[in-house]
Amino acid sequence: MNRRDFLKTTTVLSAAVLMPHYLLTSEARAANNSRFPVALEPKMDGDVKEFHLFIDIYQHEVVPGFQFHTLAFNNRVPGPEFRVKQGDKVRVILKNKTELNHTIHWHGLHVPWRMDGVPYVTQMPVMPGQEFVYEFTAEPYGTHFYHCHWGTLLHMQSGMFGSFIIENDDDPILKKFPYEREYTLIYSAHDSNFVRNELNAMLERMKERMYLMKTGRFDKKRFAVFNTKEEFVQAVEAGYLPPYVISRRSQADLPQPNWFTVNGKSYPMTPNLYIRSGETIRVRLINAGQTEHYLHLHGHDFWLVADDGLPIPQPWQMNTMRLSPGKTADIIIEGKNRGIWTFHDHDTSRVTNNGLYPGGNLLALVYEDLPAEETELSMMAQKMGLPNLPHVALDE
Amino acid sequence: MRSFKKHALSIIGTLGLWMTAGAQVNPEIQLGARGVVSFNTDILVHQTTTAVNDFSDTGLLTGFRQKLYNTFRGQLVIGFQFPDAESDLGQLFFHQTFIQLEDQSNIIKLGRSRVRSAMIEFPTLRDDDALEFTDVLNPFSSGENTEDHQYGNVLEYARIFNQRVWIRLHGEHFTRTPIPPETAEKDFSLNAIGFSIQYRVPQTQLWNRPILQQIGIGFNNFLTDRPGYTRRWDRALKNVTASMVLNLKPDPIHFIDLRAQAIYNEGFSEIKQVIDFFTMTRARALAAFGSLRYLMRKLERPALQVALSAGYKIFPDLVQKSDQFQIVGNVFYRLGENFDAVAQLQFRQFNGDLRTLYGESETRIQFGFVYSIDQSWNNQFDDRESLLNLEHGYIP
Repeated sequence: MNRRDFLKTTTVLSAAVLMPHYLLTSEARAANNSRFPVALEPKMDGDVKEFHLFIDIYQHEVVPGFQFHTLAFNNRVPGPEFRVKQGDKVRVILKNKTELNHTIHWHGLHVPWRMDGVPYVTQMPVMPGQEFVYEFTAEPYGTHFYHCHWGTLLHMQSGMFGSFIIENDDDPILKKFPYEREYTLIYSAHDSNFVRNELNAMLERMKERMYLMKTGRFDKKRFAVFNTKEEFVQAVEAGYLPPYVISRRSQADLPQPNWFTVNGKSYPMTPNLYIRSGETIRVRLINAGQTEHYLHLHGHDFWLVADDGLPIPQPWQMNTMRLSPGKTADIIIEGKNRGIWTFHDHDTSRVTNNGLYPGGNLLALVYEDLPAEETELSMMAQKMGLPNLPHVALDE
Repeated sequence: MRSFKKHALSIIGTLGLWMTAGAQVNPEIQLGARGVVSFNTDILVHQTTTAVNDFSDTGLLTGFRQKLYNTFRGQLVIGFQFPDAESDLGQLFFHQTFIQLEDQSNIIKLGRSRVRSAMIEFPTLRDDDALEFTDVLNPFSSGENTEDHQYGNVLEYARIFNQRVWIRLHGEHFTRTPIPPETAEKDFSLNAIGFSIQYRVPQTQLWNRPILQQIGIGFNNFLTDRPGYTRRWDRALKNVTASMVLNLKPDPIHFIDLRAQAIYNEGFSEIKQVIDFFTMTRARALAAFGSLRYLMRKLERPALQVALSAGYKIFPDLVQKSDQFQIVGNVFYRLGENFDAVAQLQFRQFNGDLRTLYGESETRIQFGFVYSIDQSWNNQFDDRESLLNLEHGYIP
């Protein structure tokens, strides 16, 4: 084989198949379980389910060789999963261990308005070292999520998001498509340079502000808060320079995401969806990032059964769906075509790691009952040291 | 012919590396620019002169940084500035052309750059406004320009302990003014060595720190020739520098700091009269310089700075009592992002032998503008002294 043929062969191999025989092993399946959100266990206080969350700065590894400073709930990206029953009384005690302000917005939940987590609208921000208690009844049922609503552009892509699943014992989706296994996939996009620069700038700014607050000098103009719009307009007319005129932070560039994650990980560390022939699985999709995703499943159609957590009366079939920022969608996949099938963003600029393809939110639907021999490769590939389809292929 | 072959091979080798480097993660590109333009009025005892445009110290810096294959980063910096009009350096002077390698605790620097002739910087309009007090002077220079004392070919290693203690070992080739009939410098060998140790609180932790911001001591030894002495140590011109920066009021709105530095030049005991720059740099001398600075910050940005600095230098071994005195007062008022209007008043007085060289006194009044930017593109990694890296774990 000459060099050109060799390159051609390896390129075809890695382009055609990204998933391996290894995926069928019990070790791979066990490791895969750790790539889904971990449910947060409540403590019962009477009939109230009480949860404890903290926020801290955490070094998160997206893929081996790349980690960045994140803002994380309970030192996880994404944060732990809330899983309660419809109608449960929920109490969340939030502890802010960072030197930044935060809140939690319960995205899609019908909480009392003072629990909605919008700073200066429903509550004051939870300041460094402070605790805040959120209390509400879990409504409506379905797939929802939570995220920080302070400095949302920065804090969400810094890792402050997690799934909030409200179950219903009379779930119409379960009745229509009986399933035993379900998965949560939380999509996000991160401009790691923006995150780093902004976090540093905001940390510096908050040190300064905390120093002032300790000495009793809360200045509304410095904090850029005004009681009324008229007060703000008058301040500008009197020479006040709003933050959008005089940048007080890092460079005023909008983020350009360079990492695209599913459950906080990029390919090849993304989670896979395991299924058996004849089995039906439910996948809860959450877009907690700022970019749209066009999710395409190879070799299958799937049923879109819920939109924003709300069951769709007439589910419809598709193989590519748009998942906009802030949306959740539940899909049902039927195990009808045994194999290993990729499930990825068809805007393939998001199937990249730091600008290099492949990577990003690429993952696979893996049939557990796929015979190992079907993953074997030709004699030629075996001579290259690849007896089976490789687990990781990063150089297409 | 042999020489041609050798050169051809090295060119091919270089091209080969260059061609391979065509595929790369984008380097970080940095741009720094500083424009200093002032209208000057100089009042001597018997004469008053003006300069319509003094744009010395205006300069441009470009930098390129890249992660290396280990935990180090590599950087290339190229920069030039406009020297004083009456200097012998021409229109442009390339003051920075160096390569630097660094990791969290080590910095290696090679090339032309700022020499370690001063421990701290002072709030004067131009870096060389009080050079005789603020910098160890280059004894190899004729004194025709100030750049000879500030820039040289450096070889430096710095080791940082606990993010705050800096130990530097450095060797330099200070510019040696050609002695007629020579017209150009031919010897570029090492002509100075030194080391310093300093405790320094990172600027990003301004609001954390107590009063002490910096304290340090440094040693500069010039490998001079000294007629009548054979031992290297005896022939060397030895200088000791001590410095301290105190934050008298580390307040985010009304900030006050005090800077002080003393330079002791052991000199040569045989120098009893200063008749030129050569003897001035070799005579025993003690120089002290201090600044009191008030900085008002409005909306988290500098708005007004007022500084008063003063220096005194004495040459105790001279037959005729000789000393010099200087005060510098200035006001910077911010007109917009990074754009300042400035007014500065300097008064210098000379006594003894120095009066013969420089005259009795000089008053300089300056009005001008300063515009400086510091921009970067393709950010890849954080700075050593960012808050994230300092307080939340260093990421290489």
